[in-house]
Amino acid sequence: MLGVVIDDSRAMRKILRSFLADLGFEVLEAGDGQEALEVVSGADSVPELALIDWNMPVMNGLEFVLEVRKRPEWRSMTLVMVTTESEHSQIVKALASGAHEYVIKPFTKDGMIDKLALLGLVPVGVL
Amino acid sequence: MSDQAVLPTTNDLEDIAGQVWAAFLDDGHEVVPSEDQQAPFDLSASVAIMGAFEGHVIVQCTTQASRDVASVLFEMPTEEVSEAEIGDALGELANVLGGNLKSMLPGPSTMSLPRVAETTHEHWPSTVEICRTVVTWRDEQFTLLLLSSDQQHRLERDVA
Repeated sequence: MLGVVIDDSRAMRKILRSFLADLGFEVLEAGDGQEALEVVSGADSVPELALIDWNMPVMNGLEFVLEVRKRPEWRSMTLVMVTTESEHSQIVKALASGAHEYVIKPFTKDGMIDKLALLGLVPVGVL
Repeated sequence: MSDQAVLPTTNDLEDIAGQVWAAFLDDGHEVVPSEDQQAPFDLSASVAIMGAFEGHVIVQCTTQASRDVASVLFEMPTEEVSEAEIGDALGELANVLGGNLKSMLPGPSTMSLPRVAETTHEHWPSTVEICRTVVTWRDEQFTLLLLSSDQQHRLERDVA
């Protein structure tokens, strides 16, 4: 499985990369939404999963979600917002824009696994 | 903004710090409120909150403390972390603390990207302190602050 971690914090990318690698994902990284569009475009296959921060320079996470949803060839990509934005209106906006799930920082590893399991993205044996 | 808005307290700050440290900086050392509520610092990371609440969330600590944070987040020896990694780690800490505090503030509001400054004296003009605490982790102290730019809060402070 291929995943992409999109966050302007290198520290957060490292945490999420390690988490996905433990689940068996091959992991790509991007520091903002624009870079993520380029990384996904250049990938050998469409990632099954994108973990997306909201507040980023250049192109934020919500704009990235909207861009992905314009491209039918990327429809299979599961989009999960991983962000400190925790206002109800923001969560609704992200989900209405095409995100599948929403995780608020700080998250625990178990909490994140539970969210991904609901999306069918956790290999048998991990739970 | 409503006069009835309930703003975060020092206890809220300490609770959020406990959650953030437990999730991201779980290296076996617990974060606890410090007995000494004045702590030295030479680095300051902040996020601005803009909207129904206007203000700043600030984390201040020493370079050594921020090295420890970067060391845990990047899983590398303290002496090997770079200045960029220190800035990134401290900025993300302010970002996560700020996001969680924002959820307790009147909304809607947006939050800026984190800003990290090397300073021993940072001035936040036209603000009033809503709450603050100093927490200790790995024998290093971190000052956490929520400041408001709201004129009503300044008036209330002046009356008090």
